[in-house]
Amino acid sequence: MGRQLIYPMEERYQEYLSDESKMVGKADSISFPENEGEILEIIAEMNACHTPVTIQGGKTGIAGCAVPARGHVLNLSHMNQVKAFNKTAQGEALLKVEPGMTLLELKKAIKKLKTEEELFWPPDPTESSSTVGGIASCGAKGICSRLYGDTRKYIQAARVIQWDGSVKEIKRGETTVSFLGREKDLLDVYLGGEGMFGILAELTLRLEPRPKEMWGISFFFEKKEDAFTFADNLMTEDLQVEGASIAAAEYMDRATIDAIEERKEMMTALKELPDVGAEVAAMIYIEIHGMEEEAVEEIAEILMELAVRCDSDPDRAWAVSGETEIEKMRVFRHAAAESANLLIEKIRQREPRITKLGTDMSLDKEDFQSVIAKYEADIAQEGLKACIFGHIGGNHLHINILPEDYEEYEKGCKLFEAWAKEIAAQQGKVVTEHGVGKLKKPLFLQTASKDCIEEIQRLKHTYDPAGMWNPENMI
Amino acid sequence: MLKIAVCVKQVPAYSEGLMDPETGVMIRAGLESVLNVYDLPAIETALRIKEEAGALVDVFTMGPAKASAVLKEAYAMGADRGYLVNDSCFSGADVLATSYTLMQAIQSTEDYHLILCGRQTTDGDTAQVSGAIAKWLDIPHVNWVTEILHVAHDSITVRQAMEEEIVTVKATYPCLLSVERSIFLPRLPSLKGKIAAKKKDINVLSLADMEDQEESHYGLTGSATKVEKIFPPAKTAQRDIIQKDSQEAANYILEVIKKVNK
Ligand SMILES: Cc1cc2nc3c(=O)[nH]c(=O)nc-3n(C[C@H](O)[C@H](O)[C@H](O)COP(=O)(O)OP(=O)(O)OC[C@H]3O[C@@H](n4cnc5c(N)ncnc54)[C@H](O)[C@@H]3O)c2cc1C
Repeated sequence: MGRQLIYPMEERYQEYLSDESKMVGKADSISFPENEGEILEIIAEMNACHTPVTIQGGKTGIAGCAVPARGHVLNLSHMNQVKAFNKTAQGEALLKVEPGMTLLELKKAIKKLKTEEELFWPPDPTESSSTVGGIASCGAKGICSRLYGDTRKYIQAARVIQWDGSVKEIKRGETTVSFLGREKDLLDVYLGGEGMFGILAELTLRLEPRPKEMWGISFFFEKKEDAFTFADNLMTEDLQVEGASIAAAEYMDRATIDAIEERKEMMTALKELPDVGAEVAAMIYIEIHGMEEEAVEEIAEILMELAVRCDSDPDRAWAVSGETEIEKMRVFRHAAAESANLLIEKIRQREPRITKLGTDMSLDKEDFQSVIAKYEADIAQEGLKACIFGHIGGNHLHINILPEDYEEYEKGCKLFEAWAKEIAAQQGKVVTEHGVGKLKKPLFLQTASKDCIEEIQRLKHTYDPAGMWNPENMI
Repeated sequence: MLKIAVCVKQVPAYSEGLMDPETGVMIRAGLESVLNVYDLPAIETALRIKEEAGALVDVFTMGPAKASAVLKEAYAMGADRGYLVNDSCFSGADVLATSYTLMQAIQSTEDYHLILCGRQTTDGDTAQVSGAIAKWLDIPHVNWVTEILHVAHDSITVRQAMEEEIVTVKATYPCLLSVERSIFLPRLPSLKGKIAAKKKDINVLSLADMEDQEESHYGLTGSATKVEKIFPPAKTAQRDIIQKDSQEAANYILEVIKKVNK
C-alpha cells in the first residue's frame, strides 16, 4: 500500500490556509505530493468526489492566490528537485525542475551546474522562499525586470496536469490559442494563469550567462522631491553604454526606511548595514549589470553626476560590487516588502478583518513625480499612514497602507478602488506582478475590460470545464 | 602625522567545505572572493582614527594579483595607499612565513606607529598572524580590542575583552592591535570613493622590495608547518521532531538550550 497522501485539515495545517496577503481561507483536506504520480493519485481522488483543488507553492504570494476558498489544498513544496540540465545546439542552457523548488534552492542548484560560464535565472521576486511554480503562475518579476523583462521569457516549456488527470507537455512556440483577437502561446495561458488552468508539474527554465560585473548603489536624498527628479531623469537620461545596463531602479520613502530600521535588531543580515541618517527623506537603489567593468563604471559615473545635480551626495551613497555585497543591498530592499507585511500582521492581531493593502499598479504614461505626488496627496487627505516603495520603471510603486483600525482600512480600500479606476482609464496596469488572486479580484473585475474578463472565462471553461482549480481566483 | 598600516586578506566569499579528495586542499576555483569580514573593522578603526586625529592609512595584503581587489575596496572606503605583497616565492606560506612576509613588507615601507589587524580570517582561521607580526617586530601586541579610548601622539589606549575581564591597555607606539568585529560597524564604500578607487594605483611589493631578500625565508620553504590534509568535521546532525502544545514546546526548547549551554 502506498503512503497516505491526503490529510484532513487539522489545526497543525493552519498555516496552509493563508499566504503573505494575510487572508485566511478554508479547506477540508491537504496533501504534499512528492512526485507527479502522487499528484495524479490525489487528483483522481478529488475528481471522484468533485472537490476543487487550490494549488500552493511557497505561500509567499500577496494577493491571496494560494489561499483556499474550499476543498483541497495541494501543496507542492515537497517537489523541489532538479530533473535535467542540457544545452541546446543553439547554446541555450535549459534547466528542468520540479515546481516546488524555491528561489534559494534554485540558486544553489544553478551554482552546482558544471558549466563553462556562470549562469542564472533572471526572474527574482526577492522572496527566496517563493517557488518556481508560484513565480511562473503569478508572473512575478522582481527588481531586475527593468533589464531582463517578463518572467515568461525565461520559461521554455512545462508539463501540465489537467483537470481530468491527463498530462500535457507544452513547449514555447508550438501551439497558440486566440485571446482578445490575437494569438497567444498556449504556454502563456498557464504562465501568469494563477493556477486556474492546471498544475505546472515541471518547468523548463532558460538560464542566462550571469553578468560578470554587478554594482549596487544606494542614493540618499534629504528632500524627497530631489529623489523624484532623479527618478524621472533616470527614465529620460541617456544611460545606454555598450556592455552594461541599469538592471534595477527602486524607490523607498522614509516610512519604508523607518520600518526596515525598526527590524534591524531582529535581522542579522540587516545589521551589517550602517544606519540610514535621520535627515534622509528618500532613497533610490540602483543595480548595474554588465559583462565589462569599464562599461559598468561608465554608467556609475553618469549616475554620480546625475546625483550631484539632484542634491544627493555621492560621498554618502553606498556603492558595492560582487554578488555577496549586492546581496546585502538586496536584503535591505527586500526588507521593505517584508516590513510592510509584518506591520500588517501586527495590526491584524488587533483587527483580524484587516488584510494587506498594497498596490501593484503601474502607469508609464506620466512622470514619476506626478504619480507619486498624487498618491501622497490622496493618502494625506484621507489622514492615512503608508509606506511607499517599488520599481521606478513604469512608475510601478507598491503603496502599502498601514491602517490603525478597520475604519482606516475601509478608507484605504476606497482609495485603492479610485486609483485602480484612474489607472485603468489611463491604460495603466492595475495588477502588474503580484497576481489578482482573491484580494485584488474586486479591483480587477471593476477595471478590466468586459472583453478581457470574458476571454479569461472562456479559457477557464476550455481548460477547466469542471471548475477544479483554484476556486474564487481572479474571475 | 600618525602612520597606520592595516593588514587585510582576500578570502572566498563562502565555502561549502568542498575539498579536493586527492590533495585535501580546499577548492576555491569559481568561488567569489571578498575582503575578509574580520578585516573590515580594522580598516574602519584606522579610518576613524584618521578622521579624528589625522593619519596616513596604508593597507597591505599578501596574495595573488587578483587580491588587489581588496585594496581597491579599502581605497573606496577611504584608505590612502594600498600595497599588494606579491611574489612567486611568497606562495604556500603558513602563519610563520605569512607574518614574516607581512612584517618585511610593512618594515620596508614606512615606520608605522600603529599596525591594525582583524581578529582572524574566514579561510585560515588561525588568529595567529597578528601576534606573530608583532613578535617579529618586537612591538607590543594587544588582541581582542573592542574599543579605542584615546589616541595620543605617542600612545593609544584601548579596551581589551579578555575571557573573564575587560582590561584597559595603554600601548606606546609602535604597537599592533588586533580588533574584534564588534569594535565598529564598517562603513560601506561610497560611490565617489569607489569610482576614485578604480583610478588609483596599487603598489606592488615583491622580494626585491624587502629588506631581507633571502628567498628561503618566505613561502613554502620559510614555513614551519605543512598542511597534510584539510577536511570538514564530521556532520553531527541530530533531528528530533517533538509535538507538544505551545507552552510545553516552549519549556522543552528552554531545557534543550540549557543543556547545550552547560
Ligand atoms: C517579502 C516579499 C517580497 C516580494 N517581492 C516581490 C517582488 O519584488 N516582485 C514580485 O513580483 N513579487 C514579489 N513577491 C510576491 C511573489 O509574487 C511571490 O513570492 C511568488 O510569485 C509566489 O510564489 P509562491 O511559490 O509563494 O506561490 P504561492 O503564493 O504559493 O502561489 C501563488 C499562485 O501560484 C499558483 N501556483 C503555485 N504553484 C503552482 C504550480 N506548480 N502550478 C500551478 N499553479 C501554481 C497558486 O495556485 C497561486 O495561484 C514578494 C513576496 C514577499 C512575501
